[in-house]
Amino acid sequence: MSHEPRDNPAQHREQREPEELHTPIGWPLLVVFLGIIAWGAFYYFHDLLSATGATSEAGDRRSVVVVDPTAKADGAAVYAGNCAACHQATGMGLPGAFPPLAGSEWVLASKDIPIQILLHGMSGPITVKGSLYAGVMPAFAQLEDAEIAAVLTHVRKSWGNAAAEITADDIASGRKAFADKSTPWSEAELKDKVGAP
Amino acid sequence: MSLSIAFLLAMTFLISVGGLALLVWALANDQFGMGQQAAETIFAPGEVGEVEDPATPSAARAVMQNARKAAHQASDSEELFERTIADQSSRMPVLFWLSSSMVWLLLGSVFGVIASIKLHLPDWLVQEAVLTFGRIRPAHLNVVAYGWASMAGVGVGLWLIPRLFKTALVGGHYAIAGGLIWNAGLIFGTAAILAGLSDGLEWLEFPWQTDIALVIGGALAAVPLILTLIKKRVGHLYVSAWYLIAALVWFPMLFVTANIPNLFVGVDQAMLNWWFAHNVLGLWMTPLGLAAAYYFIPKIIGKPIRSYGLSLIGFWALALFYSQVGLHHLIGGPVPTWAVTISIVHSVMMVIPVIAVAVNHHMTMLGSFRLMLYSPTLRFVVLGAMMYTFASVQGSMEALRSVNTITHFTHYTVAHAHMGLYGFLSFVLFGSVYFILPRLLDWEWPHAWAISLHFWLVFVGWGIYFWPLTLGGWLQGLAMLDPARSFMESVS
Ligand code: HEC
Ligand code: HEM
Repeated sequence: MSHEPRDNPAQHREQREPEELHTPIGWPLLVVFLGIIAWGAFYYFHDLLSATGATSEAGDRRSVVVVDPTAKADGAAVYAGNCAACHQATGMGLPGAFPPLAGSEWVLASKDIPIQILLHGMSGPITVKGSLYAGVMPAFAQLEDAEIAAVLTHVRKSWGNAAAEITADDIASGRKAFADKSTPWSEAELKDKVGAP
Repeated sequence: MSLSIAFLLAMTFLISVGGLALLVWALANDQFGMGQQAAETIFAPGEVGEVEDPATPSAARAVMQNARKAAHQASDSEELFERTIADQSSRMPVLFWLSSSMVWLLLGSVFGVIASIKLHLPDWLVQEAVLTFGRIRPAHLNVVAYGWASMAGVGVGLWLIPRLFKTALVGGHYAIAGGLIWNAGLIFGTAAILAGLSDGLEWLEFPWQTDIALVIGGALAAVPLILTLIKKRVGHLYVSAWYLIAALVWFPMLFVTANIPNLFVGVDQAMLNWWFAHNVLGLWMTPLGLAAAYYFIPKIIGKPIRSYGLSLIGFWALALFYSQVGLHHLIGGPVPTWAVTISIVHSVMMVIPVIAVAVNHHMTMLGSFRLMLYSPTLRFVVLGAMMYTFASVQGSMEALRSVNTITHFTHYTVAHAHMGLYGFLSFVLFGSVYFILPRLLDWEWPHAWAISLHFWLVFVGWGIYFWPLTLGGWLQGLAMLDPARSFMESVS
């Protein structure tokens, strides 16, 4: 570039171009570096040894609920693992998205209604405690009869709800009653075939 | 973990640590042949323009030498001349990249503010898909990362190159062409994100077709670096130059690899995604910021950098350890434990270069901190350098499994990101721009108060952003881990 260099006051005021001294690094810093490397080696081998053969420590274990199929199912645990994500730990649901279970007429109605909702799921508009919801409630037919019975009993007896217990036998007969059904319930169909709350 | 994987891991670690040990040994034994004397031949103040003609008889040289020492002033005017030549040659490309970056900074900040308001008022601006959070947020990220930070970083780099090599910038018009193409890529990329044509991977949302523009634009911007490097008139490359050269080599490798469509799928794709996303911070933006900090701190206070050895350790440890840290973004995810472990170990190893750089910067500043009151550039750059230390140490802690379980998926991460990209990089870039522009435009900043105001606004604003999100993010993480509390409680 062949511009005529201009005179620029800022350039006059400047200090010289930077440079580096050769101050030694100093042993305290080297000791710190060594310490960090030692930690790295320790962490690495510790992890290596504990990971060999054993089940992995990694993974998000916060919501895992281990349900022992032989024992009597724990309704609260099944609820925390399967329902709380939508209906919340409080049973209050999320306004506009997930209907409440606390005080819900559908939960407190004759036991066939909640059983069928759980076995086949639900979709489309539904009025719960005077508010309209329109979402999709997945089916939980994959759970054991005892688990469904336990979670429904839990739901029907928590947060101020007080309705009759539901047994595994109720679930078994609920499965037979609509064995051929493959689509989720709509509010109208449920009222028509199972009953209104 | 199988034995062969364990062996490979051990090798990765050992090679990196071994490389570092070799470096320290070489330094201790002056293997670089760059002892005190060598460096000063090239650099020391009174000797710029040193008489270096080997053909001159030594007696004559001594006479000339003395004459030069007497006319000390002459060396200053020679430096002044070199500096004028350097700034003249880089004027147009630097102005182009810097002014583009400022437009993107404004646009990116607008997107950021919209995204932020949406977190408070989720029902605001949801009528059109373009305006939804899922599109505004990635637009914010890409515009500030590739528009503001990258363009300003390249602009500052282009200005530094002729100064560091003490020669005129060669091939500046390539950089201007590159800037035009880079801008075009950004425009199409951002439009594509807003139109819903995102690639769907964080930091890589631009469709690969527009990435081609960034690759070509970036490559053209690197041409003057190489051409000027060939013509360089210094024997020893100052540390800022190492970072600049390395950044301009690393970025294309990362960006091209990560954007090849369908190279990997599934878990591998997620791993590639975060390998890239962290390296774009560590091996692209960080070196750009450090190059500037290493230049402006000694430049303004007029003192040399404390230790060449620390500069070397800081640079090489970054080069050795950084590229394996990306998977700390997937801790707890469905990726192999060994891969996560190596990323954690290397994340903590990053403390080594960070301390080296911090000691180097802050020990150089020791005794000169008062100057920050007078020089806006120094205030921005030194504070930025401190935030680099803070952000990095914070990042190393965040990579530990015990900490990450709490902070992952929370606002804590977002605060950390702004500590790095705003507190560190943007502060350094602001300071650099304040220094550079008067030299290119031949005017002085008209309103000193406006610069002060700018500083205090970004400083206070950044504080309001960082501290509550850090604290809130931590509480949010604790609330999410507590099975007795509902999810809503963690965000309300
Ligand atoms: C993916 C979210 C989701 C999960 C998980 C979920 N539900 Fe639902 N649930 C809904 C939605 C949405 C509705 C409303 C369906 C509609 O709009 O048609 C609903 C409706 C209901 C109803 C009827 C309406 C009411 O509020 O009383 C009951 C009873 C119910 N769910 C129980 C449960 C139980 C028990 C579980 C756990 C086994 C569960 N749900 C898991 C989303 C979910
Ligand atoms: C030693 C250096 C660093 C380490 C070890 C580190 C580590 C981390 C970790 C662990 C996360 C959180 C991942 C998660 O849980 O989601 C993160 C996120 C982030 N970091 Fe760093 N960090 C470092 C330096 C930096 C610097 C210098 C910058 C900026 C220039 C930066 C910018 C970011 C950004 C933008 C994110 C958010 C990524 C996202 O979720 O989109 N980091 N870092």
